[in-house]
Amino acid sequence: MTRLIFAALFGGLLLFGGTARAASSWGLPGEEIVRFDAKVVDLLCELTGDCPDRCGGGKRQLGLLTDEGTLIPAVKNKVAFAGAADELIDFCGKRVTADGLFTTNRGHKLFVLQFLREAPDGKWRGANRFSPKWAERNGLDAKDPKVKQWFRNDPRVKALIEKQGKLGLGPEADRKYMESQ
Amino acid sequence: MMFIRTAILGGALSLVLATAAAAAAPQRVKITGEVIDSWCYLTEIMYPEGSAHHQCAIWCAAGGIPVGILADDGQVYLVLKFEGDDTSNANPGLLEIQSHKVSVEGDVYERDGIKYLLVDKVLGDRGIVNLTHDDYGIQPFGE
Repeated sequence: MTRLIFAALFGGLLLFGGTARAASSWGLPGEEIVRFDAKVVDLLCELTGDCPDRCGGGKRQLGLLTDEGTLIPAVKNKVAFAGAADELIDFCGKRVTADGLFTTNRGHKLFVLQFLREAPDGKWRGANRFSPKWAERNGLDAKDPKVKQWFRNDPRVKALIEKQGKLGLGPEADRKYMESQ
Repeated sequence: MMFIRTAILGGALSLVLATAAAAAAPQRVKITGEVIDSWCYLTEIMYPEGSAHHQCAIWCAAGGIPVGILADDGQVYLVLKFEGDDTSNANPGLLEIQSHKVSVEGDVYERDGIKYLLVDKVLGDRGIVNLTHDDYGIQPFGE
C-alpha cells in the first residue's frame, strides 16, 4: 500500500519530471493510460452558463470537454497533493491534447493530467506548473527546496494546521496522540 | 431576404437550445456528510476519511484538488461553489472545514456520472466526528 501511495503522490515527479512525453502508470484502480484531444472548460460555466472571463482566472476547477460532449473533471496533476487547474488555466477555451490516466473507482471516473499541449501540434509540457506558480505566489525561487515540499511550507496550510492540529481536533489532541505513539 | 431571416432565426434558436442543454436544470438538495478530498477518497490510495486524513485533506484542498462531500448515503459530490463564492480551486472556506461533518443546502448538477454541488448555505457544522486516527494513524506518512 505504501508503495502505491508513493507512486501516486510522487511517481510523476520522480520518473517523469524530465523530458518524457508519455503518460505512465501510477497503479491506480481502474486505470487507463490515455491521450485524447479536448477543449479546456470551466466546469461551473459548462454546467450552469455562469462564465466569467478566462475560466475564472484560475480560481475555478477546470475540465476537458471531448468532441463527443463528455465532460471530464481533471482533478490531479504530477505535483504531490496538487490539482490540475493551474496546469489547464493557460489553455482556457482552447483545444489541447491531454496525456494522462483515467482512474475509475467507487463509481466515478477521474482524470490525472501528466502532459499536455495545445492541439494539434503545440509544444508538450509536463503538468507540473503548479510548483513554479506556488513558488512565485510565495516569493520563492522555483528551485528553492521548499517548493518540492510545498504542502509543508504553504503559509495558509501551516496556519491551519497550527490552529486545528494535524488531526483537526486541536493542538492538544495532537500532543496526546503523539505521546501515545 | 426571407431565406436569410429564416436562417438567422434558426441559428438563434439553435444557440438558445444549445445553451439550455449545456445549463441543464439542477436538483435542489439538502445533504449531510463529511467534507473530503475527492482524490484520496475516490482512488483509495490511502485511508481517506476523518481525523486520520485531516492534514492530507488540507494539503490537497490547498493544492487545488476538488473538495468533495461524502454524503451519508455514500454518494460523492464535487463542490464547485461554496456559500456564494465560485472559488473551487483552494477555496479558503472549504479549507477551514475539511473532514467536518456538515449539512448543506444547494444545487446538484449531474453530468457524465459525476455529481457537482453548488453549496448555497451550510445548515450545520458538527466539526470532526469521524475519529479514525487511532486505527489509521496520520495519513499518509504517519506524522
